[in-house]
Amino acid sequence: MGAVARVRTFAPLAMVGLLAGCGDALDRHPQTMFESEGPAARTIQNLSVPVFAAAGVVFVIILAACLLVPLKFRAKDDDDFDEIPKQVHGNTRLEITWTIVPALIMAVVGVATVVTIFDLSADAEEGALKVEVIGQQWWWEYRYDLDGDGKFDEITTANDLVIPAERDIDLTITARDVIHSFWAPKLNGKRDAVPGREHPWSIEADQPGEYLGQCTEYCGLAHADMRIKVIALSEEDFAIWAEGQQEAARRYGESDTSPAAEGYRVFTQQLCSSCHVINGVNAGNRERFTPNGRIKDRSLQVSGYAPDLTHLMSRTTFAGGKFLLRKATPFCEALGVDWADDPEGRARCLNRAALEAWLRNPPAQKPMAPDQETEGIVGQLNPMTEPIGARGMPNLELSEDQIDQLVADLETLE
Amino acid sequence: MSLTPTEAGPLALPTGNGRGPARNPLGVFSRPRTTTGWRSWVTTVDHKKIGIMYGAAALVFFVIGGIEALLIRVQLATPSGQLLSADLYNQVFTMHGTTMVFLVVMPIGSALMNYLIPLQIGARDVAFPRLNAFGFWVFLAGGLMLNSSWLLGHAPDGGWFNYAPNNGVAFSPHHGIDFWNMGLIMTGLASLTGAINLIVTCLNMRAPGMTLMKMPVFTWMALVTQFLLLFAIPVLTSAQFLLMFDRLFGANFFNVEAGADPLLWEHLFWIFGHPEVYIMILPAFGVVSEIIPVFSRKPLFGYPFMVFSGIAIGFMGWGVWAHHMFASGIGPISVAAFSVSTMFIAVPTGVKVLNWLATMWGGKLRFSTPMLFAIGLVSMFTIGGLSGVTHAVSPSDTQQTDTYYIVAHFHYVLFGGALLGFLGGFYFWWPKAFGYALDDKLGKVNFWVILIGFNMTFGPMHILGLQGMPRRIYTYSDGYGFNFWNFVSTIGAFIIALAVVMFFANIVVSRRRARAAAKVMAADPWDGRSLEWMVPSPTPEHNFDEVPVITQFDDFWHRKYGEDDKGRPVRIAATADVVQTGDATDVHLPSPSYWPLVLAAGLPIVGYGLIYNLWLCLVGGLFVIAAIYGLTLEPASDDEAPHDHGGHGPAGDDTTTGAEAAPEQEAALVD
Repeated sequence: MGAVARVRTFAPLAMVGLLAGCGDALDRHPQTMFESEGPAARTIQNLSVPVFAAAGVVFVIILAACLLVPLKFRAKDDDDFDEIPKQVHGNTRLEITWTIVPALIMAVVGVATVVTIFDLSADAEEGALKVEVIGQQWWWEYRYDLDGDGKFDEITTANDLVIPAERDIDLTITARDVIHSFWAPKLNGKRDAVPGREHPWSIEADQPGEYLGQCTEYCGLAHADMRIKVIALSEEDFAIWAEGQQEAARRYGESDTSPAAEGYRVFTQQLCSSCHVINGVNAGNRERFTPNGRIKDRSLQVSGYAPDLTHLMSRTTFAGGKFLLRKATPFCEALGVDWADDPEGRARCLNRAALEAWLRNPPAQKPMAPDQETEGIVGQLNPMTEPIGARGMPNLELSEDQIDQLVADLETLE
Repeated sequence: MSLTPTEAGPLALPTGNGRGPARNPLGVFSRPRTTTGWRSWVTTVDHKKIGIMYGAAALVFFVIGGIEALLIRVQLATPSGQLLSADLYNQVFTMHGTTMVFLVVMPIGSALMNYLIPLQIGARDVAFPRLNAFGFWVFLAGGLMLNSSWLLGHAPDGGWFNYAPNNGVAFSPHHGIDFWNMGLIMTGLASLTGAINLIVTCLNMRAPGMTLMKMPVFTWMALVTQFLLLFAIPVLTSAQFLLMFDRLFGANFFNVEAGADPLLWEHLFWIFGHPEVYIMILPAFGVVSEIIPVFSRKPLFGYPFMVFSGIAIGFMGWGVWAHHMFASGIGPISVAAFSVSTMFIAVPTGVKVLNWLATMWGGKLRFSTPMLFAIGLVSMFTIGGLSGVTHAVSPSDTQQTDTYYIVAHFHYVLFGGALLGFLGGFYFWWPKAFGYALDDKLGKVNFWVILIGFNMTFGPMHILGLQGMPRRIYTYSDGYGFNFWNFVSTIGAFIIALAVVMFFANIVVSRRRARAAAKVMAADPWDGRSLEWMVPSPTPEHNFDEVPVITQFDDFWHRKYGEDDKGRPVRIAATADVVQTGDATDVHLPSPSYWPLVLAAGLPIVGYGLIYNLWLCLVGGLFVIAAIYGLTLEPASDDEAPHDHGGHGPAGDDTTTGAEAAPEQEAALVD
């Protein structure tokens, strides 16, 4: 936050601020809009800081006037009530002045704003990485077009948007159910994800790092839990990550009785595999999924999709970004997206307790509407909307053994 | 109904004369005649009683909306709050916003406008008194129906803006959104009929000599507000009808899979929604434009500028709606156009602030409670206005929108602006409406407590928003730096709650004290400037004994004060000699009627029918049609009723009126 902006932000609160200067000084503000770490966010910040400063100046002048004018002209106790102040009805010249001056200030701000609007809406740079960003209740999916054929079909992932640093990322933002909004404040402002529309947007990170954000258009129950994390890697690391993401998961033979193989069978035989896709396991099941992974049975999931789990262990969060998959220790964070590549990383960094709790009863962990509603529902007169499908992950009533086996299987999806 | 003045004066309303239509239409009711007791309230067509009922209902809803606000603040006081589930939280924040906008700020405006417009323009009632009564009852029916959703399973949870397609059955399978639809269609009817009524009143029923440019600024702002309502409400109502057909009959107006574009709803909603902002704030601007001159003892600085800036806001308010949609994906040209138009709407608003300050400049200011609230509005609204300018800078807005920075902004506008203004208005006009003043000392404490609580609640939200806390989230996590200011904000909310309790306590205490003292309230306790101070307090049922003839702006003040030979203002007449005594002879007022209430009662039956069982719609529909016939066939006035309505104060107030001898106090400010 720039010094001037700080004045603007804190000035209205001078009174309260005095009480509370110490408060959050030590806290991080991962979503602040005054610490830009990418060109778009910086362009915005360069515009908004002077505007905030100008507003701050006006604020000080008017508030001072609101305080001083009444004090200066207050009636004294010994005033004669019948002595009446001069009856001034107005002053046209003065009033025209204070109509024109603000209009001129606004014109200056207006020009700067319009210039910035068109700066920011410029087409993506040559060589930009194309990613489709898709919002649904209540998680984000990211699909990559690496070969430039216009189809976002090379990589499908969720929650963490992994990008190369110092490269323009050309986003196409859309949604599959209701309106959401994509926002990583340190990289750019927000852009709504609207079903049926494709909105261009671009982000770029100055350097490798993790940038937080969240859905900012109210989208129902778990709107608060629909988080965003952009992970910027160096070009080399990104290339490695991208290659790894395109590999299929392994299958297990009938005779394999390892916990992971048992978990694999839980996955394929329980309801899991009707919604979640794992490349190399059930991705090609044309009875259940369309070629791009849409669940054919609408009642299973209104949006038609569940997060692709093929490379679950390369993500740092799960359940729409609500929970950490990779523990928040310095050791684990230093491993980046590769935290689960070796057994030691998995053993030390997998947030096993959270994952198990999730599998035990997902709707208890995150507000969702996983059951088809049957009572007290609109629609007896509305044939178009029946049946009302599930939104979010249901409780599958797994046994503790099954949960252990599933985790063992999921752990291998690096 | 003819509005042509008759020999009884320009304000007499046409009578039924006993010829023509039946006296007891449909043979159901005998004509109500009582002027006291509860029946006089439910059958009243008196603009003052209707105004008071609007105010009372709005205050009840204010308490409900306030409790919802406290629930929100407790939930967010600490990270991972556990008080409310996400589902309940979404209902609570939706109902808080909807209640405060449609059932609190708008009807408080209606209360003041209903009560004051006829008084300020020298009229005996509004143009269509029974329509006015219908407006109130249908507002109440809408508000009650909306809130009945709490008791019938599930309150609306789509936000007050209720975006498509989240408002569709697939994503909001409960009836909450249907209650939202039906309830607000009804309150919309109230606004629409009220708009037509008050526009006609302002244009046709002004006292002789009161040209438009001599109208008090409150009435002017009310007139602009009513024009905004007239054009804005139908947009919302249309959108709600489309949504109703979508939800109940599968009409597919907003169904994306059937090819609909969800931006249609956004546009419709905000084409209503932005004028709505001015609908809420302009009446409050009018209130302070009355209060500041009286307590500065100077005329309003730049009356024509104040009027025309209000009109300019009214016009420009239609060209800025898409600034609510800067992140929605509309193209850069639209964004640029709406950015610039939004910036320029700040200009007339700024003019108002500076003119208020100039009105105080050179005056002799008395800091009675209404004046404190008025200065509170000027300063707090300025903060909201300035943060508004930062939203007009659309690139910056793509960072701020849908964060708590916006929540801070509009609470500074609607609480720091509209609500502080309205509270000031209550303190200012309370003696006129009820015949006793609210205690000034308690009022001042009330003001400071509310000012501190307000800034403590909403000030920190600026910081939270800029630190990246989104709106409409039922919880937030530790580690985002949101903890401290959220906690401060919650403490502030309880301070506001304390201030609200103090306001109600002030009413009780002051009323009790006034009854014990049995003093007659002066007609003009503040040394006022406009016509409402010319009639006794409380206002007699017939308003004016005789209609004043107006020669200039602030006519009443100029009856008290003139100029000496050096051009200095001097008193030329004692207040007691220029105010009226409340002594009416042969005043003919419109008669009370049951039909407005009956008509309004039919509509929620249709509403519940649409939700639960279509047969009920038939019952409700017959009810409505019968009531329309009854209302139409009933003569406007009951010629068998006694004609002398003079001297009756509002029912339940047994204080003597000015007609009787008790000598009036000189203006209270003198002592």
